[in-house]
Amino acid sequence: MHQLRSLRWILALYTALFVVFLYGPFVVMGILSFQQGPEGGPQFPIVDPSFFWYKHVLGFAPPSRVAPLPIGEALTRSLTLAFATMVVSTVLGTLTAQAFRTRFRGSGFVFYLVVLGMMVPGVLLGLGMALVATNLGIERTWWGTAFVLHVVYTYPFAFLVMLAIFNRFDKSVEEAAWALGVPPGRTFRKVTFPMIFPGVLSAMLFALTLSYDEFPRTLFTGGSEVTMPIAIYGTFAVEIHPNLFAFGVLTTLFSFSLLAVYGVLMSVSVRKARLRGSGIQEDLA
Amino acid sequence: MAAVDYTDAPKQAFWVRNRHYLLLLPGVIWMVLFLVVPLLMMVYVSFWTQTTFAISPELTTKSWVTFFSSETYFGALLRTLRIWLTVLFITLIIGYPTALFIGQFVRNKTAQTALLVACVIPFWTSFLIRVLAWRPMLGKEGAINILLQKMGLIDHPIEVLLFTELSVIIGMVQIYVVFMVGPIAFMLARIDESLIEAARDLGASAWTIFRKIIFPLSLPGVVVGAIFVSVMVLGEFATSSALSGRKVNLLGNIIVTQVGSLKWAFAAVVGVILTVAMAIVITGLLRVVNLRREL
Repeated sequence: MHQLRSLRWILALYTALFVVFLYGPFVVMGILSFQQGPEGGPQFPIVDPSFFWYKHVLGFAPPSRVAPLPIGEALTRSLTLAFATMVVSTVLGTLTAQAFRTRFRGSGFVFYLVVLGMMVPGVLLGLGMALVATNLGIERTWWGTAFVLHVVYTYPFAFLVMLAIFNRFDKSVEEAAWALGVPPGRTFRKVTFPMIFPGVLSAMLFALTLSYDEFPRTLFTGGSEVTMPIAIYGTFAVEIHPNLFAFGVLTTLFSFSLLAVYGVLMSVSVRKARLRGSGIQEDLA
Repeated sequence: MAAVDYTDAPKQAFWVRNRHYLLLLPGVIWMVLFLVVPLLMMVYVSFWTQTTFAISPELTTKSWVTFFSSETYFGALLRTLRIWLTVLFITLIIGYPTALFIGQFVRNKTAQTALLVACVIPFWTSFLIRVLAWRPMLGKEGAINILLQKMGLIDHPIEVLLFTELSVIIGMVQIYVVFMVGPIAFMLARIDESLIEAARDLGASAWTIFRKIIFPLSLPGVVVGAIFVSVMVLGEFATSSALSGRKVNLLGNIIVTQVGSLKWAFAAVVGVILTVAMAIVITGLLRVVNLRREL
């Protein structure tokens, strides 16, 4: 027992070191985003801390030799793309998971076909789609060829999330509503949807973040109008500047606010469900 | 009225019975058109004839011969496999103890979730920026060298840290290790406590318990983690181009360069080889554990 306790402490210490390793670059990025501008490079030491690179990212900095990030266009494209991907993949994922609630022939095949979408590396899929597009004479665009691949990537995630939700779903509640003569549409709105809402929310969050950050699939299929990750990838070839780190910090903050919205919606839905549950109990008593 | 019901019943029953196929249709069509067709196209094009800037559909195995007879390209295949094995091994070694701690030693569900979420938080930064952030860490005047010099451990900065195969491996391990920790921790947390207690009561040592109970039961998690890491590492090209200064070329990098110079047929050959390598790896891993039975 004594042996186990010391092992526990060793492992706890190890886990702490592990987390430090995971956060290392993340923290360095945060520190270097305050590098002096515009001469300061993307390395230590920080000569004179400033907000220069944040102003640079947001377009308030005076023109310098560092080209500004294409925030306006590229970011709008990325967000539009992520939003469209989110809607389509959540709908497809929910439909497919709904179908999987009944046993049917060929379910194994369909399951693997869908899951394949998240397993095939982006670079292969991008290449394949680019080949199809060039040979059929389809123009490669971020809202066309890249969009369909984004859905191929995020739809399996949405499907798996919804599948897990439906697996824990008590079917008899729905059946009770039907038996009481509630029309299917109203049953879906009043019974099914509130129960699967947390799942839908998670699926949406998955799809949105995956698509927003997606880039190997977009690289070959996005055409000449770049999305944000492609714009960042473009800076690999030339020199990198701390403006990328400032942008990284801003995206992280944006992601956290997204996560916060998700958390709030989630807890509201849980509280509503609890209230409804107690309401029914009171009615019975 | 009754007669109408009678004729309508089988018709409605047919739709109710086959409703799920209707629900499946949009998803299946999407995946066939945008997943299966592009992959088949890739295989097909790998046999096309490549001229300087175009391809034509006359079938030939020339691109295949070029790949296997060229030192550079065949070398890239070997390098990709070597880096994949190294990263897979290191993520398992580094990740397992953390997963063990989260799954076995933290018994509080909330604390478990909090720890896993803490591991995932860095993922909310753009993938590419996360990779780039390794440069100021590893460089000659990077954070690690400055720290080691200040501590007096080294006199001269270590130069092999950046723009080498090592930096690519460090970067990949940091990015992908979480995909190993998650599934293993999940499986470990599911182990029935009484099983371990029984073993302890029977006088088994901690090491025996780990070897005979904990490790075998965590194997499905290891396999799932290994599949995640393998798929992502084998298809990589961004980390290697950002952290190796374009010195380390993986199969993914070759595809990107070939597409850039419009060598479609050749890029397709590399793509097919990558697909085959990945298929072999995944089937091999699935042999170890029957996932459908275990999960």
